[in-house]
Amino acid sequence: MALREIAATFFVIGATGFGGGMAIVALVERRCVLEKKWLGHDEFMHGLAFGQLLGPFSLNSCTFVGSRLRGPVGGALAAASFIAPSFLLISALSLLYFRYHELPELKSALLGSNPIVIALILVAGIGMARRKAARLPAAAIAAAAFAAAGLFGVSALSVLVVAGCWGIWKGWRAGRMR
Amino acid sequence: MAGMLKLAVIFLKIGVVFFGGGYVLIPLLHRIMVDQLHWLTLKEFLDGVALSQLTPGPLAMLATFVGFKDAGFFGALLATVCIFLPCTALMLFIASRYERFRRIDAVNHFLDGILPAVVGLVFAAAFNLGRTSLTGARDFLLLAVGFLVLQFTAIAPMAVILGASLVGLLLRFA
Repeated sequence: MALREIAATFFVIGATGFGGGMAIVALVERRCVLEKKWLGHDEFMHGLAFGQLLGPFSLNSCTFVGSRLRGPVGGALAAASFIAPSFLLISALSLLYFRYHELPELKSALLGSNPIVIALILVAGIGMARRKAARLPAAAIAAAAFAAAGLFGVSALSVLVVAGCWGIWKGWRAGRMR
Repeated sequence: MAGMLKLAVIFLKIGVVFFGGGYVLIPLLHRIMVDQLHWLTLKEFLDGVALSQLTPGPLAMLATFVGFKDAGFFGALLATVCIFLPCTALMLFIASRYERFRRIDAVNHFLDGILPAVVGLVFAAAFNLGRTSLTGARDFLLLAVGFLVLQFTAIAPMAVILGASLVGLLLRFA
């Protein structure tokens, strides 16, 4: 994989991924897993899981994909390319802001895209659910995680740690049965 | 020069402690930037958060804004690199050891438990966005059409977003 292609791919994602967060993950999955087949679904989801444990998961999943393609250099390049458009945009807006103390009316221009961002995340979520949460007990874990984070405001980190401990406990029990 | 060094150290520290996602970050940054260091006024802080949410980057892009105020473009660059350095370094480490990790049973069981939870969190993200931003029949219609287009065609999401904005504009004038 050419470094130039990694840089170009993640720069475009960083420049067009309005919505941020999960919308970025959905975009990365669509581009890198479904279209370019740079890595498998399981591998990508493992990267996303680690990425969520470590904070800014949109950036982390870009780092993971780049790194799986071309090692640490590829990962660092993917991360920098993804951040670059946001960095330039914020720098330009900060310049205006600290000079004039006004925020430009960008918000309204981007509002129209909101339902599509949600649709994009839903499409990615349904694809992942078909592969990873179609049957019990995985479906129940997914539903519980959704309820905890969506309805009760539990942090993603707590949800993941509890689910991971459940996985270890289940694996340990299965090992003892054998 | 001493100012730049302090900027670097502070954002490296923040980068180390913000495991777990963006929403731990807002109260943390508020305490450090507004209450402790007085680098930003409350209004500037809130405007900076709004600004960083406009971009595709994570909320931690607030570092760019703070760095810019403190030391211009190079301050912005330094603060941004420093806040993302810890998580990126850890991610690179994990990705480079990925095959080795997969050979450890406990890691595999941990991941088996986590993956369905990740699926749930993806839906929770969509739900939380929808709860605050879907306001009328027009939004739900756009959501349904967008879903069908993205699910069943290979049209690029950016094209769909631009198309939807166009349709939104036309509906407003109709």
